[in-house]
Amino acid sequence: MRRMVALVLTVGLVWLGAPAAAQAPITAEFWYSFGGKNREVTEAHIKKFNESQSKYRIEGTFQGDYFQALAKIRAAAATKTAPAVFHVIGEAMPQLWQQGLFENLEPYAKGPNGTNVDDFLPGQTQHTYFDYLGKPPAPLFALPFFRSTPILYYNAEMLQAKGLKPPATWDELKDAAAKLTVREGNEIKVYGFEVPVDWWFWFALLHEAGGSLLTPDGKKAAFREKGTEALQFWVDLVNRDRTMKRPPGKDYSAWEVANTDFINQRVAMIYTSTAFLNYMTENAKFKFGTAFLPGKAKQAVPTGGTFFVVARDAPAPQKEAGWAFIKWMTEPAQTISLSKATGYMPIRTSAVNSPEMQDFYKQNPNYKTAIDQLRTAQRFPFSPGLIEIQREVIQPNLEAAVLGIKTSAEIMQAAEAKTNDILSKY
Amino acid sequence: MWVGWGLVGPSLLLFALVYLYPIVYSVWVSVYDWDLATPARWAGLRNYRELWSPEFREVIGNTVGYSVGVVVLSQALGLVLALALNDRTRLSALFQASVFSSYVVSWVAVSLLWVWLLDPQYGLVAYLLSLVRLPAVNWLGDHRIALVTLVLVTVWKTVGYPLVIYLAGLQAIPGDLYEAAALDGAGDWQRFRHVTWPLLTPTTLFLLITLTIASFQGFDIVRIMTQGGPVTATMIYVYYIYEQAFQYFKLGKASAAVVVFFALIIALTLAQWLLFRRRLEYTA
Repeated sequence: MRRMVALVLTVGLVWLGAPAAAQAPITAEFWYSFGGKNREVTEAHIKKFNESQSKYRIEGTFQGDYFQALAKIRAAAATKTAPAVFHVIGEAMPQLWQQGLFENLEPYAKGPNGTNVDDFLPGQTQHTYFDYLGKPPAPLFALPFFRSTPILYYNAEMLQAKGLKPPATWDELKDAAAKLTVREGNEIKVYGFEVPVDWWFWFALLHEAGGSLLTPDGKKAAFREKGTEALQFWVDLVNRDRTMKRPPGKDYSAWEVANTDFINQRVAMIYTSTAFLNYMTENAKFKFGTAFLPGKAKQAVPTGGTFFVVARDAPAPQKEAGWAFIKWMTEPAQTISLSKATGYMPIRTSAVNSPEMQDFYKQNPNYKTAIDQLRTAQRFPFSPGLIEIQREVIQPNLEAAVLGIKTSAEIMQAAEAKTNDILSKY
Repeated sequence: MWVGWGLVGPSLLLFALVYLYPIVYSVWVSVYDWDLATPARWAGLRNYRELWSPEFREVIGNTVGYSVGVVVLSQALGLVLALALNDRTRLSALFQASVFSSYVVSWVAVSLLWVWLLDPQYGLVAYLLSLVRLPAVNWLGDHRIALVTLVLVTVWKTVGYPLVIYLAGLQAIPGDLYEAAALDGAGDWQRFRHVTWPLLTPTTLFLLITLTIASFQGFDIVRIMTQGGPVTATMIYVYYIYEQAFQYFKLGKASAAVVVFFALIIALTLAQWLLFRRRLEYTA
């Protein structure tokens, strides 16, 4: 009798247990690099994805800023423990693709759980971010996630008080900054202009001056003359006119200072990413506007932000989960809610044209600036040397000119030589 | 004899694992080019040759400058404070505790605190300077004084350590020596010069070595406060290694820097030991 009961119980438990085991969701890790407000938004969407279906489960982990995360991903790749899905800045992608870290997403995009790649906004996609330098384009390996352009934020009240309209050229910026700077004796109470002395904004200025980074075949540096002009523009504003503040700190520390100064009305105009628009809107106790970056020979901006990628070395079920997640995140409904909550641009044409977003833009015109500015977006060369050029050649050396340690010409000359060195390896 | 080995065994194993293995591994990686993501390529001594650049020389200069500043200032200040607080009053105990308290707090917390205190626009220090009509100083953003600023913050944080060690050293000096000196007509300064200072030489040597090694390992303060900047003004050795390894992904070059560092510290310690060994005096 007892044996019968035991048998029935065992069979019963196994019968009940089996379907549960078969239904356990496939878990995959997502490493992201957003702190603060944008982190909350990201986590909220991860939760929503997990709740919207039961086949996959994504676990998100914050890994510091883009560069810290990149270091961790490389370390993880070395031990084959990379997360199934993460996001990277565009400049890092050519090298990482060449090193085989990314999964080719074309089969997924065309497969049963695919996505409409034609609906992505021009200027947002991998193929419109890069200039493939006359070679055949790399296959699709990245989907746009949070994408941005730099924009001009200006304190509308300060400009109005001086009867100024937002500057559209470098000369107008120079003038406006001079008129908006408030001095008290030898001290400057309010700066006219502030921008992090950073690769991204230098890239904008380089193209605005009519230059480009590399030659069309991507084999040599082409930025010496116009790069010097761009850097010298800042040097003059900081040291000669004394109307621009150079925010101290490296990488994103400087960006934070610029944002804080703008919020505290210590500066009238700043360049920073549209990604901070929501943060500014919530924290500024004054009326502010956004505008295109002033141009010189032309108006030009880089695009920024990050792309979703899937790790090639992750196990297949995790890659499937990763794809499902990024496909969902890039759907029109999600890109609308992500954009409205942060200031990053929606990445789908259908999203931008939707009644919801059109209405939103009417109420919040500041959010439209980046989207409109996309028509002046510049492409980055698809070269594995790109990230090295950014991180080792340009970024650490821009400061030296503004601090008066070296001249812009010297810096750009050294940068050109080093860039050609790096490019000769590829 | 086997019992001896058996007893020491576990510690020896731990030591080998935690200390020897990383050192040997660093030497191994230093002759390769490795970026973590792709397989390592043989580089021979190229990393060492590449290491010897103007930037590296500046890093060594910064590190030596930082170290000398920290060691000299914190030891001198520690000694002065120890002499002043060498009595058994409650007030002294309170001062000792407050000075030492900064030593036990985390480097990250202290660095963040001082970043805000020193901000030329929003910081408390700038405000205090404005009260006495002095111009604001760009403590961390001016490449000419940024390293000095870091030295000062380091001294603020670590002076408790030489203070405590010197107090112990002072209390080991027998009181009769002071009485004898006073009887011979020695004043305060002469008592210090002929009794206190010579008998403190073992303490001084100990502090010299430990503070030098500790200051060479400075990292957190740079990571939080200046990230090596402005430009390379506060780039000290360990931060340079970190930057080469985790920002530029040049692990071979970073490992070469580690090996050179190891050799430098050993040489320095040996030099200090040999130089000052003859000057050690102990009580009879």
